[in-house]
Amino acid sequence: MHTTMTSLLAADSPTVMTPTTPHLRIEAVTKQFGSFTALDNISLTINEGEFVCFLGPSGCGKTTLLRTIAGLARQTSGTLIQRGNDISTQPTQARDFGIVFQSYALFPNLTVFNNVAYGLRNRRVDRARITARVTELLALVNLSGSEQKYPAALSGGQQQRVALARALATEPGLLLLDEPLSALDARVRGHLRSQIKALQARLGVTTIMVTHDQEEALTMADRIVVMNHGVIEQVGTPAEIYHQPASAFVASFIGTMNFLDVTVNSATQVQLAATPFTCQPHCLPVGEVARLAVRPEVVALTRQAGMLAGEVTDIEFLGAFQRVTLRLLGTDQTLLADVPSRDSSELNLRLGQTLGINIPADAACLYPAGSNPL
Amino acid sequence: MTERTLPRFVPKRSASVSPEALIRLLVLLAGVALLVVGLLFPLVTMLIKSLQDRAGDFIGLANFIRYFQTPALVNSIANSLSVALMATVTVVSLAFICAYGITRTCMPGKRLFRMLAILPILAPSLLPAISLVYLFGNQGFLRDVLAGHSIYGPIGIVMGMSFWIFPHALMLLTTALTNSDARLYEAAEALGTPKWRTFLTITLPGVRYGLISCLFVVFTLAITDFGVPKIIGGQFSVLATDVYRQVVGQQNFQMGAVVSVILLLPAVLSFIVDRWIQRRQVAQLSARAVPWQPTPSPLRDWSFALLCYAVAGIILLVIGTAVYASMIQFWPYNLSFTLQHYTFQGLGGGGWGAWFNSLKLAFSVALIGTLVIFFNAWLIEKSEGYRPLRQGLHFMAMLPMAVPGMVLGLAYIFFFNQAGNPLNWLYGTMAILVLNTLVHFYTVCHLTSVTALKQLDPEFEAVGASLKVPFWTTFSRVTLPVSLPAVLDISVYLFVNAMTTVSAVVFLYNSDTRLASVAVLHLDEAGYFASAAAMAVLIFLTSLVVKLLHTALTHVLLNNAQRWRLAG
Repeated sequence: MHTTMTSLLAADSPTVMTPTTPHLRIEAVTKQFGSFTALDNISLTINEGEFVCFLGPSGCGKTTLLRTIAGLARQTSGTLIQRGNDISTQPTQARDFGIVFQSYALFPNLTVFNNVAYGLRNRRVDRARITARVTELLALVNLSGSEQKYPAALSGGQQQRVALARALATEPGLLLLDEPLSALDARVRGHLRSQIKALQARLGVTTIMVTHDQEEALTMADRIVVMNHGVIEQVGTPAEIYHQPASAFVASFIGTMNFLDVTVNSATQVQLAATPFTCQPHCLPVGEVARLAVRPEVVALTRQAGMLAGEVTDIEFLGAFQRVTLRLLGTDQTLLADVPSRDSSELNLRLGQTLGINIPADAACLYPAGSNPL
Repeated sequence: MTERTLPRFVPKRSASVSPEALIRLLVLLAGVALLVVGLLFPLVTMLIKSLQDRAGDFIGLANFIRYFQTPALVNSIANSLSVALMATVTVVSLAFICAYGITRTCMPGKRLFRMLAILPILAPSLLPAISLVYLFGNQGFLRDVLAGHSIYGPIGIVMGMSFWIFPHALMLLTTALTNSDARLYEAAEALGTPKWRTFLTITLPGVRYGLISCLFVVFTLAITDFGVPKIIGGQFSVLATDVYRQVVGQQNFQMGAVVSVILLLPAVLSFIVDRWIQRRQVAQLSARAVPWQPTPSPLRDWSFALLCYAVAGIILLVIGTAVYASMIQFWPYNLSFTLQHYTFQGLGGGGWGAWFNSLKLAFSVALIGTLVIFFNAWLIEKSEGYRPLRQGLHFMAMLPMAVPGMVLGLAYIFFFNQAGNPLNWLYGTMAILVLNTLVHFYTVCHLTSVTALKQLDPEFEAVGASLKVPFWTTFSRVTLPVSLPAVLDISVYLFVNAMTTVSAVVFLYNSDTRLASVAVLHLDEAGYFASAAAMAVLIFLTSLVVKLLHTALTHVLLNNAQRWRLAG
């Protein structure tokens, strides 16, 4: 298995291009279903060899965008350019991609071998070469020896890998994954996540994955495209998306986030209840009501009540850490704080206790009051 | 490795309309054309004819006014309605009891009963009529049972219709009663509900859509049936026999068209009601429903068993009578055994040639019809684009259910026999019989195909396209094999119906293309009752053999398919 992988690697590595060459350019794509706008003027560039995740809640348009790229849905307006070719009006058959669906859509009456060979049969490739290619692909996805089995005899994770091998068989320039892991149970999902990511990195194939699972997107993607209501909310690396969410929506969709109502004092200061609080520079007008977003893990609790203090109303045990719910003194706002297990004994956490709260200024983002988290 | 050896995909420039999409469009247009020519044009021509006089001049509703001023014709409306209603009540109540026995009791011999109950479908509707004459006619051995009433008339018609419509009703109601949710019954039991109240508040509401749908299907079959009233109706005329009499007897095509339009109304009405009900039924049973399993209860089980076997006994008696009548010298005077009625010599009607024609027709319709109907259903369900065309095709595929055979047959005369119709050459050929029969039985096959296709993964086509495999390859390598059981069901349904139907084709055969079912009619008209019975039995046996072959074939195929259907 490992030797096959290395030989594949050696052969394929020259095709991996510098990550800045654009593979697919999506320009002002809009898709309407009657009066409903599924995609609203989407523009995006995906680079050669990149692993991009479309992330968002259901109905945000991520699957529609994927199907538009595949030619399975036709955009109402806009242009798609793949490796310099305008593919906007090309039918699915003429586009260069492989796809794995959520349901896998394996052909139930064909063996694993014939499923993987399905696209090769059509290319006037001789049998010996087809056999060699299928053997190689099945080795790549760790399914050697399953050639003569039917899909119904395989587990969900195995079926998923057959679907992946089938999609890769014709060496597409672009791999599309439509929620490929959501039908699997949690343990298999975690395992396949790293397997797919490793495979993608080794083959260097440009990949777009649609998912609603933020953990999946954060662990697998080079770049994440967060979508909501048919528009792109933010494009960035997982770290950027997590630490500098561009909108209240992104902030609340990725990870856990506290939102606190504050009033703007100046370009670098807001007022939280009676407490002035330094935050990152922003351009909201002074006197405006705004929302301060703080991740639970950056909140530090101390035994001395400082400028900001809260009363512990709930403690949730989550193994590696404890999630503490505090009611901010002088307001009716609540705040979540994650306390690592080794700090919690030091704090001697208990209900009704009043604790001091420290929030580092560079870890809090400010959003306008009207913006809607989720 | 593969980089050098495999031909790499080269994107074509500016391929906005691929040859594949063009082929797909052409096939779709061909499907639409088939139903436009085979259904819409003939029906429209017939509607126009009903508004014209003999010379072909437009006279508005004058034909209809004349119709309603002729008591002999108007009476048929009341006659048709009354026999159809009586047959509906008889069939649906009997079928409900039997279906209940099959689905909700532990009665013994369910499988045997279901096999026997399906037999009437394999015979032309003329067969029960002939048997009833032997049983209850002037010289019938059960004549006294009728206490002086004549079998020739409404009694015979209702009995004959009930016989051959029974299997249709039984299948519909068995399906409806199978969809039960055990959780409701358990809840009722836990609340201490008496059995009769459970029946009224859970069972009946659960099957109400199936029951209403069944009522309308049975009523339509009864009111449009031609075979039974033709043989056993005597002086009692109904709409279907009026069409025949006006056209074949009096050559009054305009009045034939008027009666057809009137016959079309109840059928169209029940079609609309049925579609409306089907639409509401969708969300009836949730996916989480637990099927209800009956527990043994000897008194109930045996009561239902007795009832069911009484029904099966009647079915066997009717078929047995026809077989017996075809094998004796001369009822009731010479009861010695003979096969001479199966020679059909010198009797007109076409004899074995007619049987052979029927066989040709049935095989052609089964083969062509299955491919055309299933492929059209695939185009409607599984292809993208051309939405108005696909919806139009679907609508036309649903329409034949609302068109009685007599009406369709007459409409074909009007359309294809028109001077100047470029398709005029079809008239009087086997091809027109194939087209007519295919269209006549289109809807059930279409619905079966759609149901089968809906069960497939919606992304098969997308996967095929992404792998640059043309759609016909995915159709033949995946879709068709996976849907094989449904495809076989369609083909045997078409075969049996082509074999047994008489209503539409009675207007369309010529001397070279006489059919067995039409021969039964003519032999009976000419007074050769035993030969008519023999021909009807021949049709029945042919259908039976094909049905048995189909069952065996399906069994083998499903066994083979088990390799992939169940985890290998």
